Amino acid sequence: MALLSIENLTVEFNTPFGAVYAIRGIDFTLRKGEILGLVGETGCGKSVTGRSIIGLLDDNARITAGRILFEDVDLLRLSDAAMHEVRGNRIAMIFQDPATALNPLFTIGAQIMDVLRAHRPAKRGDLKTDAMSLFADVGLPDPAQMMHVYPHQLSGGQQQRAMIALSLAAEPDVIIADEPTTALDVTIQAQILDLLRVLQRERSISVILITHDLGIVAETCQQVVVLYAGRVAEKGAVEAIFAAPQHPYTRGLLAALPRPGSRGSDLQVIAGAVPSGLERIAGCAFAPRCEYVMEICRGQQPAFSDIKQAHQSACHLHETFADA
Amino acid sequence: MPEPLLRVDDLSMVYQRRAGLLGRRAQQIRALNGVSFSLGAGETLGIVGESGCGKSTLARCILRLLRPSGGRIRFDGDDLLALPDEGMRVMRQRMQMVLQNPFSSLNPRLSGFELVAEPLRTHTAMSRMEMADRVASLLAEVGLGVEFMSRHPHQLSGGQAQRTALARALALNPDFIILDEPTSALDVSVQAQIINLLLGLQRQRGLTYLFITHDLSVVQHISDRIAVMYLGKIVEETSSEAIFANPQHPYTQALLSSTPVPDPAADRQRTILPGAVPSAANPPSGCAFHTRCPQAMDICRAQYPAARFVARSHRVSCHLYDESA
Ligand SMILES: Nc1ncnc2c1ncn2[C@@H]1O[C@H](COP(=O)(O)OP(=O)(O)OP(=O)(O)O)[C@@H](O)[C@H]1O
Ligand SMILES: [Mg+2]
Repeated sequence: MALLSIENLTVEFNTPFGAVYAIRGIDFTLRKGEILGLVGETGCGKSVTGRSIIGLLDDNARITAGRILFEDVDLLRLSDAAMHEVRGNRIAMIFQDPATALNPLFTIGAQIMDVLRAHRPAKRGDLKTDAMSLFADVGLPDPAQMMHVYPHQLSGGQQQRAMIALSLAAEPDVIIADEPTTALDVTIQAQILDLLRVLQRERSISVILITHDLGIVAETCQQVVVLYAGRVAEKGAVEAIFAAPQHPYTRGLLAALPRPGSRGSDLQVIAGAVPSGLERIAGCAFAPRCEYVMEICRGQQPAFSDIKQAHQSACHLHETFADA
Repeated sequence: MPEPLLRVDDLSMVYQRRAGLLGRRAQQIRALNGVSFSLGAGETLGIVGESGCGKSTLARCILRLLRPSGGRIRFDGDDLLALPDEGMRVMRQRMQMVLQNPFSSLNPRLSGFELVAEPLRTHTAMSRMEMADRVASLLAEVGLGVEFMSRHPHQLSGGQAQRTALARALALNPDFIILDEPTSALDVSVQAQIINLLLGLQRQRGLTYLFITHDLSVVQHISDRIAVMYLGKIVEETSSEAIFANPQHPYTQALLSSTPVPDPAADRQRTILPGAVPSAANPPSGCAFHTRCPQAMDICRAQYPAARFVARSHRVSCHLYDESA
């Protein structure tokens, strides 16, 4: 069941150098209870997409087209007050750096009690018990003591767990996690990703996991959306896309990864660089770097083609690849 | 066997820090604790470990940017810690370092030309003409055109800045380069370009690398041998192939199982370690890994395991491999 649908989302930023075309019309759907990976290289628009959904774009941003349907309501048409409600109760966002998202002046306990008080006003039960059980749910040690510690007294991994506990306090349906493990060590990253899987399984929370790491996508997500220069290059079920990537960009990204057994050999590289956000792009955004580029690619933006059910790629070559 | 280019013996580094109210309590942080390894000319040794394991302290001790508290460092037969300052200044031309974030290691006020020419100016008597030629050829070697001579760091992409840092490191024709997380801040496709460049430079110049990183898939690609560090010690060291095929230390096994693999079809058993790396100011007794180790035994809490060879050139420090066990 579609929980959240992004349709033709288009976002620009006003800057002294002109308009930055950050999101150039993207479509994808998050279904209930699944983890969707939003992946791509720096500047491709992952964070702007996340912030558009939750209504927290910078002041110089303008959404020039598109809809964000959440349970069939267009979030872009909601009043500020209604959007505030959604943000508080339905969709939560966690960030790469939990230290800046937590308030340094209050204990973790005080912060979670605040959220609980705001979101469960009807419930007169013991908020403190609820808070401690949330701390336990996210795997923080000694929940009773957690009530009294300040963010700076926690390690990076514990701060991220506290952040997740805070977002769970509002019992959201969707969590948008923007590079939640990028600042953490790999053994701690494994813990946090495992926690996201547990939340998905036990609370059927849906997650949009923003990452630049294809390994994380392969291990954590069921669906993936590959962004390139503010557009969707390829999207669909993780198994399908990793087994048979169709878009030359996705193929290039996967081929560029070092893998066990490849020692000393040259890695495949993608020539050239990502286009500037200031450029208007007429054809396929990847055309200037694509080894299979054809005449049509420079002039006409490729539409999505169903390669198989639930696997779509925006590439003029798709017929060629489908036969291969 | 020929003398290795770099040989580190029983290296220790203890930082003294003031702690407590008004800094009245002296606190000791044992960043390196008996680290030994050797590295042959033209080889790459990868050093892997999580934050706080002592990787960067090790790099700084080798270059003598820090004075280690104990141990020996021999480079091409010379005892680095015994060299007088002038001798070390000359020696440092042969030893360079490239860091993770080129934007913080490159002076933002200097152009590409000035950045690459600076070491030539300090250490050689080249004319400006000679220098211009040399800088152009160094930039070409790292894949940058002459137009990059006039670019300042803020006008560079991450990959271009890292190439400029490499050109600068190559200026004095070093034998040995320490690469401290050189690709960690880069995107996948740019990371691949820089790895290829490093491999090519090594082939052409016969360079010796010490490659420090937390990323196992990157390090296995570029290294001949890999040393895994945990809280100031090397817990396992072996060939790049054996680390993946036959990891012995429970920490190495956990690191491998924590590293995401870009293959959803891979059949993987996950070992998720509990807790976090303990503080080096207050390390656990015995084997420091015992607080997180899924196989910890009583002896692990009491006694640090001596290094043992479990196969030819595969050494592990873990009580699981004690003779009597
Ligand atoms: N406030 C802003 N003003 C101008 N441009 C912006 C602003 N915020 C984002 N952008 C631009 O929008 C584009 C998309 O940025 P975004 O932060 O979404 O990228 P990302 O995919 O999250 O990258 P990263 O992997 O580096 O986090 C970039 O070109 C970025 O420079
Ligand atoms: Mg981002």
